[in-house]
Amino acid sequence: MENTSSDIRQLNEKIHQASAFVDLLNMELGKVIVGQRYMVERLLIGLLAQGHVLLEGVPGLAKTLSIKSLSSAINAKFSRIQFTPDLLPADVVGTMIYNQQKNEFVVRKGPIFANFILADEINRAPAKVQSALLEAMQERQITIGDNTFKLDDPFLVLATQNPIEQEGTYTLPEAQVDRFMLKVVIGYPTKEEERHIIRQNLNPEASAPIRAVIQPADILEARKLVREVYMDEKIEKYIIDIVFATRNPEEYKLQKLKPLISYGGSPRASINLALAAKAYAFMKRRGYVIPEDVRSICFDVMRHRVGLTYEAEAENVTSENILSEILNAVEVP
Amino acid sequence: MYKQQVIRRILLSFFIGLLFPLGLLAQNTLEVTARADSSSIRIGEQVKLHLKATVPAAVFNKPEFRLLLPVVPDSMDHFEVVTRSNPDTLTQQDMKVLQQTLTITSFDSGHWEFPPLKFEVYGATGANSVDTLFSQPLAFDVNTVAVDTTKAFKPIKTVQAVPWNIWDYWPYMAGGGAIVLIALGLWLYFRKRPEKKPVEKLPLVTPYDLARQQLKSLKEEQLWQQGDIKQYYTRLTDILRTYFEHQFGIAALEQTSEELLKNIKPVTKLNQQRDKLRSLLAIADLAKFAKLQPTADEHVDCMVKAEEILEWTRPKEEPAAQTPGAPDEKPQTGA
Repeated sequence: MENTSSDIRQLNEKIHQASAFVDLLNMELGKVIVGQRYMVERLLIGLLAQGHVLLEGVPGLAKTLSIKSLSSAINAKFSRIQFTPDLLPADVVGTMIYNQQKNEFVVRKGPIFANFILADEINRAPAKVQSALLEAMQERQITIGDNTFKLDDPFLVLATQNPIEQEGTYTLPEAQVDRFMLKVVIGYPTKEEERHIIRQNLNPEASAPIRAVIQPADILEARKLVREVYMDEKIEKYIIDIVFATRNPEEYKLQKLKPLISYGGSPRASINLALAAKAYAFMKRRGYVIPEDVRSICFDVMRHRVGLTYEAEAENVTSENILSEILNAVEVP
Repeated sequence: MYKQQVIRRILLSFFIGLLFPLGLLAQNTLEVTARADSSSIRIGEQVKLHLKATVPAAVFNKPEFRLLLPVVPDSMDHFEVVTRSNPDTLTQQDMKVLQQTLTITSFDSGHWEFPPLKFEVYGATGANSVDTLFSQPLAFDVNTVAVDTTKAFKPIKTVQAVPWNIWDYWPYMAGGGAIVLIALGLWLYFRKRPEKKPVEKLPLVTPYDLARQQLKSLKEEQLWQQGDIKQYYTRLTDILRTYFEHQFGIAALEQTSEELLKNIKPVTKLNQQRDKLRSLLAIADLAKFAKLQPTADEHVDCMVKAEEILEWTRPKEEPAAQTPGAPDEKPQTGA
């Protein structure tokens, strides 16, 4: 059914009111997290668009603090799993334990049974463990023995990867990386932010604790609204053009990119780009998507979905470079 | 006397009669031979060794008949096999001859015997019969080269020039000739090909004139009056974006409204119209992406703003850039 002009006006009003909690959340998180607005914004996009986030950044950039604070502000259950080479799937999802008194096996749930999971250094665990986590992310349910458990909703996995120290790591295969809606690359704070961080840490009593400003149920409601955000067919075409330009750059007068791209974005890329753009529009308190929304989250949605050839790697061309070229070549509606 | 003569004839006939079947038998038996071209060679010299098996055609044509020629290894005591030909079959009257030629050599001087070679015959005398025949051994004298020690050692000979022969170079000459012929053919082809008609040059119009003209036709099409508001604003912003791209070199078609407003800053003249452009783009974005229905006044106002931006940024003297492909009509320039 096509939306009419008045429908969109009403929707816009509705979303403008419903998205007020985003500012509240930002304020609350701002109490403990200095800077990193970009990362926090992407976490919220993942939360609202029901997608998981892969974070890449050096240690000490407040990744854990961010997700922990976010879960506190939403009054949700948080769990952290440090991935190590000797980790087993049962350490993540749980296992059956024999109860001697009752003379039966009982299920002991793993740390994955929480709303927010921080999978720290996911590439340090072997493929079997990664696969267990990624399967849970996809299916949103866990089977232990004969019992199947639905995971809590909202369920957001924030996995981290360290771009340095690649020795002894198990790089996530492309098919599994594709399951993350966003891959966010975070950098160091600015000088001013760093000064605030120092002061805040030297005087921890001064910073107020995070309080719950919304409930998980509010997030579930917001998710429904995100899906309702209006996306014009011009925007849909723009998204498709971007994704197709990663597959067939020569059709967009980008022949020079052809030898640099080994594979382009999958249909999952288009879906996630559309969903993330809607979530971004929601956070900007709009009931419709504009090209700015698509461009703002394009790098985070697409950077792990564009495969580079050896030639590109030899020339130090990154997926970000390729995406920039594409965005500069595809006409904005 | 006569009686003796008669007895002698009878005996002679008897012996002749006895010999006749033997001759027949000899013709009907298998024979194998090994023969060398020479029994005396110099060290390292090569000699042909002919292996031959003669088989009666009647035996040869038996379905179960098979004959295996000797398997001679590449190297054996005092002898080396250099090459070996493929086995060949000949028909001679009512006999079949299987033959193979080996080229052998020896690097040991002395008197050596080439051993008898084994021919295996299957199904010659019965369905499952197996017979083995051997050739005669062959004796070879392998001689060294006599050196006259009384004479002094001679130096190694220098490289000798090969006499020039024109046939040694015929592939190169043929290739060169072919290239010359192809080049000549191509030259003739292109010389005779009809010349391309000169491309008709379209009159050049400035980006400003083109934008004016497009705005005028947009007005004439009365899109918003017909309810096609989305198309009206899409065309309006496209005209402005194309103008910015051609006139100021800003890649406006590939930029969002926000990016465009940011990127016009260095162009002072255009930046002076920033507020008008922002207002126009904001309404256009709402109409294009949020199905907003601006009022009739807003439609007109947006067109006026577009024309004002165009007029404000109109180049004074010579146009900065020119856009080919516009119709010949002289556009109006008034605001």
